[in-house]
Amino acid sequence: MKRTLIAIALAGALAGCSGGGGAAGESASPPAAGSSAAQPATAEKYAVITHGAVGDSFWDVVKNGAEAAGKQYGVTVTYQGDGDPGKQSQLIDQAVSEKVDGVVVSMANPDALKEAIGKAVAAKIPVVTINSGADSAKAFGAITHVGQSEEVAGRGAGEQLKAAGVTKLLCVIHEAGNVGLDQRCKGAEATLGGTVERLQVDVSNLADVTSKVTAKLQSDKAVNGVLALNPAVAVAARDSIKDSGSAAKLATFDLSGDVVGAIKAGEILFAVDQQQYLQGWLPITFLHLYKTNLNTVGGGLPVNTGPGFVTKDNAEQVAKLAESGTR
Amino acid sequence: MTSATADERLNDVGLVRRLLIRPELGAVVGAIVVFAFFAGQSPVFRSADGIANWLDPAATLGIMAVAVALLMIGGEFDLSAGVLTGTSGLVLVTLATRYGFNVWLAMAAGLVVALAIGLLNGLMVTRTRLPSFIVTLGTFLMLQGLNLGVTKALTGTVQVSGLARAPGYEGARAVFGGTIMVGGTGFRVAILWWLLVTAVATWVLMRSRAGNWIFAVGGNDVAARAVGVPAGRTKIALFMTTAFAAWLVGSIAALRYTSVQANIGIGQEFIYIIAAVIGGCLLTGGYGSAIGASIGAVIFGMADKGIVFLNWNADWFKFFLGAMLVLATLANRLVRRYAEEVKH
Amino acid sequence: MILRTQAIGKSFGSVLALREVSMGVEEGQVTCVLGDNGAGKSTLIKILSGVHRHDTGAYLLDEREVRLAGPREALDRGIATVYQDLAMIPLMSVWRNFFLGSEPRKSFGRFDVATAKRVAREELKAMGIDIRDVDQPVGTLSGGERQSVAIARAVYFGARVLILDEPTSALGVKQAGVVLRYIAAARDRGLGVVFITHNPHHAYPVGDRFLVLNRGTSLGEYGKADVTREELTALMAGGAELDQLAHELRRDA
Repeated sequence: MKRTLIAIALAGALAGCSGGGGAAGESASPPAAGSSAAQPATAEKYAVITHGAVGDSFWDVVKNGAEAAGKQYGVTVTYQGDGDPGKQSQLIDQAVSEKVDGVVVSMANPDALKEAIGKAVAAKIPVVTINSGADSAKAFGAITHVGQSEEVAGRGAGEQLKAAGVTKLLCVIHEAGNVGLDQRCKGAEATLGGTVERLQVDVSNLADVTSKVTAKLQSDKAVNGVLALNPAVAVAARDSIKDSGSAAKLATFDLSGDVVGAIKAGEILFAVDQQQYLQGWLPITFLHLYKTNLNTVGGGLPVNTGPGFVTKDNAEQVAKLAESGTR
Repeated sequence: MTSATADERLNDVGLVRRLLIRPELGAVVGAIVVFAFFAGQSPVFRSADGIANWLDPAATLGIMAVAVALLMIGGEFDLSAGVLTGTSGLVLVTLATRYGFNVWLAMAAGLVVALAIGLLNGLMVTRTRLPSFIVTLGTFLMLQGLNLGVTKALTGTVQVSGLARAPGYEGARAVFGGTIMVGGTGFRVAILWWLLVTAVATWVLMRSRAGNWIFAVGGNDVAARAVGVPAGRTKIALFMTTAFAAWLVGSIAALRYTSVQANIGIGQEFIYIIAAVIGGCLLTGGYGSAIGASIGAVIFGMADKGIVFLNWNADWFKFFLGAMLVLATLANRLVRRYAEEVKH
Repeated sequence: MILRTQAIGKSFGSVLALREVSMGVEEGQVTCVLGDNGAGKSTLIKILSGVHRHDTGAYLLDEREVRLAGPREALDRGIATVYQDLAMIPLMSVWRNFFLGSEPRKSFGRFDVATAKRVAREELKAMGIDIRDVDQPVGTLSGGERQSVAIARAVYFGARVLILDEPTSALGVKQAGVVLRYIAAARDRGLGVVFITHNPHHAYPVGDRFLVLNRGTSLGEYGKADVTREELTALMAGGAELDQLAHELRRDA
């Protein structure tokens, strides 16, 4: 008993001392074990802090973009994601404590992050906002915003769906509390000219998504369009449409290998692609250029990465790219 | 037998062992191990800034963990505590922004709502004699739906924001959501609230009649009633305590971030229980410590932030967090067993 | 008599748990309630201690009829009950258990911990109980020690009647003897003791009056002078039935 106790205490202390050379020197040098990518030890470090849940297929592409850019420029890029604005705010505080060279933040809830971003700006750390919160970016002191306006994208989707003859649209919201998703539905509502009904599902339970959408299609025959806001949900919805024998048209936001395959097969009409890879890649580029050359991009206006539309025409080429996690 | 003579049957129990046998000291050992592990690898972790970073989540988690620990010592669970932080915050922000309430008044309203829900939980558990796990699970789901539904109905979106513009905001923010500078580093006021809550809870447990009743009701409810302990009132009071803590944490968050999302707090309820268990609370009730729960919260905060400081891959984050917690609880358990063993 | 029942009865729905039971206890005396399992002993105690209310007959305290509202009222009137499961919380310390429900107070409603510890230690000593450390959890005490703490607690809080529910049933011979000694100590301090048991060998040495219950009714109430231990045993076991059984059980010659 005593020995086990001493063993544990020693193990803890030893692990503390030996863990990959981080003990001496600044926090900028990455530890040997578990670093996000094989980075050469340089002085530049950027923290990407998003509101996307870990493992989300959409944000994974953003992460890949950021990490690829890091490799390209030989800088360290760390990625953290948390949907809770309080926790996200704390992660930004941490990055500021670590004195990183730049912070990339997605602002699903700008008000909640205002203070933390303000601290970063006050500490002379450049901030680039991505994805959501474009309206507040400049006011908070970000050097630029990279993203796609959710509402603009929603409008684009609505127009396309209208052209395809959809009059009653089911807008599937997969993350309760996500402001951006709500804005997509709103945008589609504005241009569709018909009725839009929101359906709440839980992205962490895809079988549930299928059954909920099926139930809706079966109970309301007037629904002739389904708009998914996430590639995993889109695939689940496609199954629903098949199961219920509905003739509803399906469109989605964001890509995945499965979604592109479904577009090729004619099961999905189109996907609104905000090219989130760029939302990872470009900010690192901008911050690196800012650090080395004091460049700013955009002239005060956001840099738009979308909407791009993936349809049957370009699906083939995009398919190959989606599989490697870059689209 | 005078008090001066030592009883020959009482072994010369070393001071160290007598300290270790207390429910919280095992948790302290766990905390030291976790701290040493991260501090050894990350200088930022052990810097003043870093400490302020991980004390922050420890504080809000700690307030809830202490209240939940009190309830667990009393033999019950409250799974609705996490969601209730969201409800309180939503009430506060909605009233202050859409109905023009003064922030302080809105906070008071939030308190009334929270206490009412705590009272409801307590009454249901004591009257129906259903397991509190089930009753509060029901409350949890209902509140989750209410949070989302009412927010959507009132505002059309899934969050309420704009608290910064409401009257009385600045003062309330300073008291609950502000920062205190200590030697150039900013520490959150929430830390002070957490320390206060821990101190009060510890005093109640150890030095008040109510504390005796809490231990009794959790240890053997039937026996407690038989000697005249007001078991029903005690349990209802405990549920209202977790509700109060949820109101405090929810208000702190709302004032700090000036907005509340409808899905805040969901998923946190088990973390409160884990922190309490790390701190020495038995799942079966009747034993535990408020200080221990606070230390459990500190371990959680350190692990949560330490993993980020070490730049471990975010995808593996949850795995590392779980592993840390199991190790910390094991260390706690081992220390206590060692302390209780009779010397041969 | 401090406590007396007159033809008391209780039913639960259609089940007649107790009928026509008359018994009593005097100051400084021990009344033993004997009976096999299912005889109605626990129903009787629950009525005496205020958990249930009687349906027929009368319950008299100091020769005045009462209907107790609950265990709290019984306690307030000086009727202390020590249950089989001891009404002790195993995880709590001896001194906390001692004062549970009647904690001494300081100003501002504080629990006077110092007094509690001191009094617990002193009272246990006064009863002749030698507990090593009042801080140890009650669960670490032996069965006999736990019983003694419960008895000392009742005596300290001014009980006039002490009702003991099968205190020796789960104990070994030596421990049972220890408990009987404390029962005698309580009796000697002027309490009336109602000692419920199914073991006449434990009851006889310490009892002054004996009530025998069988299937919910009384087989008689006897003074010590009026009955021997063997007669008691025979009464309890339903003497006639046992004789018949013995006959059936005999080997064929």
